[in-house]
Amino acid sequence: MSEYNPRTSKYRRPRSYFSLPGLLIGLALGIGGALVFAWNFAPVVEFDTEPWQLDRDARARYIVAIMLAYSYDGDLNLAVQRLIDLRLPGDPIQAVADTACQLASTGYVDSSSGLRAIRAMIAFYQSQGRTGCAELLIPADSAAPTTVFEIVVPTSTLPPVATKTPTPEADANFTPTPLRVIVATSAPQSRFSLVRLETFCSVELPGIIEVYVQNSSGDGIPGQAVRVRWVDGESTFYTGLKPERGPAYADFQMQPGLAYTLDMPGQSNASDSALAATPCIVPETGDSSLQSYRAVFRPSG
Amino acid sequence: MSRFLVSLFIGLALGVLVGLYLGWVQFPVQYIDSPAGALARSYKDQYTVMIAAGFAQDGDVAGAVERLRVLGVENIPAYVLEVTERYITNSQNVADIRLLVQLYEGLAGRVTPLMEPYRQVRLP
Repeated sequence: MSEYNPRTSKYRRPRSYFSLPGLLIGLALGIGGALVFAWNFAPVVEFDTEPWQLDRDARARYIVAIMLAYSYDGDLNLAVQRLIDLRLPGDPIQAVADTACQLASTGYVDSSSGLRAIRAMIAFYQSQGRTGCAELLIPADSAAPTTVFEIVVPTSTLPPVATKTPTPEADANFTPTPLRVIVATSAPQSRFSLVRLETFCSVELPGIIEVYVQNSSGDGIPGQAVRVRWVDGESTFYTGLKPERGPAYADFQMQPGLAYTLDMPGQSNASDSALAATPCIVPETGDSSLQSYRAVFRPSG
Repeated sequence: MSRFLVSLFIGLALGVLVGLYLGWVQFPVQYIDSPAGALARSYKDQYTVMIAAGFAQDGDVAGAVERLRVLGVENIPAYVLEVTERYITNSQNVADIRLLVQLYEGLAGRVTPLMEPYRQVRLP
């Protein structure tokens, strides 16, 4: 049995100013309440968003931009570093392939610019030994097709030279022998080329394609057919029908939301990039209008 | 009882201070799933230069506008003008400035006097 010591008795110790349980409960309640307030009701305003924080769609657009820059400068280290900064899950290059696959299965490839971007992505990840589904979903680069035709040409066999010994008369003088000739078609020859395609934004001329067909000296050639094609239609128009604009001139009014290609049927290749009446701002006045184009065709060579 | 309440109140006050420090400074909310328009300015600039590089390659104005629209900018030529002139004023990378000047010229059909030395002539 321990001896009673009045100095160590809890009834004798000087009383603390604070209640420890009260302090701890208050601290816990305070921290909890303040965190709820700081995270949910008054979070820090974000002003330094980094690419890795972007949503899925914006991140895909950022990857496209990285690939466009790579296809321009060929700087692999920079491209990979930018992909790493995006903190993509797993292999960043395979993530490019997956993103290309996802974009190729949407309407993103309906425009030629989208198609070009996907091709840049495919070229990038294939060069790094990765595969995806994008290359299966979009057509390969259009090369001049080489079509093989098989033509059966009959050849004649000359009748035998007459001899003294009569020979029985043949039923026919010619014996057709099939001969297979393979003729490869050549790429279409272009008489004209689209030498200039520039955009302008004007309130007076919204969404118009102005076309000029000129000879090598720059003089206008009237009566030349120019064609625009869009997803489900085409229209052909002719130069020189607006004499006040000169013999070289023809124009076409675009519809917003459609993408067009431009060519001279049978005389030139189609424009590489699609033309679209997208909204634009007139730089001088700040007025809104639709993008217009000015195209110049001249003889090739 | 009053001793308990005083302690509770002091603990609560300390807890609030600690909690706010943790919630705002040490472990602030990190946003994910942000739109491209929320990007920090340096990343917006970087994105714009990358789009300008794409434009230098394909000359596709409509494509460049469509890609820059993601940034949530209303007046794209004015935005490109602002970025380009800021790059020139701050003596940023000359190659980037040239790309931006080329993009601005493609969008607006002209260049400003400040851009003129960086303009690249493209032969047809």
